[in-house]
Amino acid sequence: MNAESPGHDLLRVKGLGKRFGTTTVFHDVSFDVARGSLVSLVGPSGAGKTTLLHIIAGLQKADSGTVSRFDGDGDRHPAILVFQDYVLFPNMTVFQNIAFGLKARGLSKAAIRDKVAPLLNYFHLEDRAEAYPAQLSGGQKQRVAIARAMILEPSLLLLDEPFANLDRNLKMETALFIRSTQRTFGITTICVTHDLQEALAMSDHIGVMLGGKLRQFAPPLEVYRSPVDMETARFLGPVNTITAPLARLLGLEICRLRPEALRMEPDPEGPGIIIASHFAGHYMSYTVRILDQDLAVYALEPWAQPGDRVRIHISNQYPPIFGGSFTEDSCV
Amino acid sequence: MRRNVILGLAPLLLPYCALFCAGLTLTLAQSMGLFLPLGPGEATLEYYQALTRDQGLGLSLRLSLFVAFFSAAGSVLGGTVLALALWRMPPGLRRVGVVSKIGLILPHVAVAFLVLLMLSQTGLVSSALFQLGLISTPEEFPNILHTGSGLGMILAFLLKGVPFALLLIGAVLFGFDIRLIQTARMLGAGPLRTFWSVTLPRLLPAMHSAFIILFLYAFGSFDIPFVLGESHPGMLSIRVFDIFFHRDLSQRPQAMAILTVMFVFAAVFAMLYNRFAAYMDAWRRKL
Repeated sequence: MNAESPGHDLLRVKGLGKRFGTTTVFHDVSFDVARGSLVSLVGPSGAGKTTLLHIIAGLQKADSGTVSRFDGDGDRHPAILVFQDYVLFPNMTVFQNIAFGLKARGLSKAAIRDKVAPLLNYFHLEDRAEAYPAQLSGGQKQRVAIARAMILEPSLLLLDEPFANLDRNLKMETALFIRSTQRTFGITTICVTHDLQEALAMSDHIGVMLGGKLRQFAPPLEVYRSPVDMETARFLGPVNTITAPLARLLGLEICRLRPEALRMEPDPEGPGIIIASHFAGHYMSYTVRILDQDLAVYALEPWAQPGDRVRIHISNQYPPIFGGSFTEDSCV
Repeated sequence: MRRNVILGLAPLLLPYCALFCAGLTLTLAQSMGLFLPLGPGEATLEYYQALTRDQGLGLSLRLSLFVAFFSAAGSVLGGTVLALALWRMPPGLRRVGVVSKIGLILPHVAVAFLVLLMLSQTGLVSSALFQLGLISTPEEFPNILHTGSGLGMILAFLLKGVPFALLLIGAVLFGFDIRLIQTARMLGAGPLRTFWSVTLPRLLPAMHSAFIILFLYAFGSFDIPFVLGESHPGMLSIRVFDIFFHRDLSQRPQAMAILTVMFVFAAVFAMLYNRFAAYMDAWRRKL
């Protein structure tokens, strides 16, 4: 539904609620989306992210609340949803898929060619123009689906799990491509994903949906560093709780810290002992037991083994996500 | 591996091949004057030449093609429309589609008698209209069944064909990804363009299959033409029956020649139609 713009916002979701039978999917979801911004809604499976996206796209009806779009001409610049598995028309070539919306608007063949060609070029699909969807890779299909939407200059682009069908190594690349495309075309975009790293990397705002609620809606750094509650904090990544005995030893207050705030160094006399290590590709994740408390610590190099004794440094560059901040580094 | 597959299928393939090939070979042989009940005879194409001179046969062929085409096309069209209507119904109401299966259960000959009892000039509809005073005599009821146009047969074939087409096309439609339509609508396509560009191409293979099966069945069928057809011109099957059973044994090769021509026609038609369907479905060939 279109309404008068309250300012630079393009979309206002207010008090939205949805139930399936007796099960509440979510309730009282409210947020505003600024024109030209990229918003990611993150949350575990079943949090209602996709349902929310479908309601914004007009494919489902909400049980309560409103969705208002302030874009004037919704017919000329519609909201377009790109489904998780892209839903390309299997009987049409890449060119025909991308041109579909223009053809539906009655543009001439020459005008369609003129508009499709630069998009094929931008999305690196020139040599696949005559291919059918079944002949494309997952990444190519996604680019066709986004190009098919982008060519209509939609007021709002909705992406449902854009990384779900991609190989791990393609996800971040795709996230950055979506970000640069979104900026190039200036299309307001809402993306639903459970790929946190990609969402944090590409978004202007992150909405965290947990337990049927939109827990937090804020810029990525704020959501990551200042989550509204522990559940949100834990959903976004591991949290170390510095309890009273350890806090006393460190000269800190009781607080909660991300693993990035902790650094360890080998010390046979150190108070900590490594009880587990996990290779995570571009970093190592260690579990260090200190004063009967387990801490998650990341390191770039795999230099320590379970059983090694270590000393822990806490950097003040990473303020606690909960609890009082500190001005100097601490070490134990 | 391949040998094992062949051996596994042998219990089915052997009787099928034996019956089909033996029947076909015997038909072909008798159409050429060989292995006749009258004696061994000599191979000749005389009976095929006779067919080209038979004007009645041309009329029969024309009628057979006419009835087969319109009954198959009408069935596919009706089945598609009904399948779409059922598909758009709320899931609870789709159960009404079971009514359409009645036509499938009934044997062809029963459907033929149903049409006869309902729509002949002495049938139920005629009697009902007469009783209601809408017509002064039952004979005023229009002669639908025996006009030489094959309309009665087409009606009976439609009664059997529409549910069959509905079954084939509905199976595709009920598995159809509704998001394709949602996407087309989001991209600005109206209902007609969406149907034409998105829905129809998905249904075409089932429509083609239904058409070819129904066309070939109607083209060669005997039961419905036997009840609802006429003699002049008769459907090809009736003509074959007539020559085979009601005429001199010496004319049997002519019946066999017609059967052979019908078989060749069906095979060529199926091949050409499949090519045409493949051309229409160019995108599938590339998958």
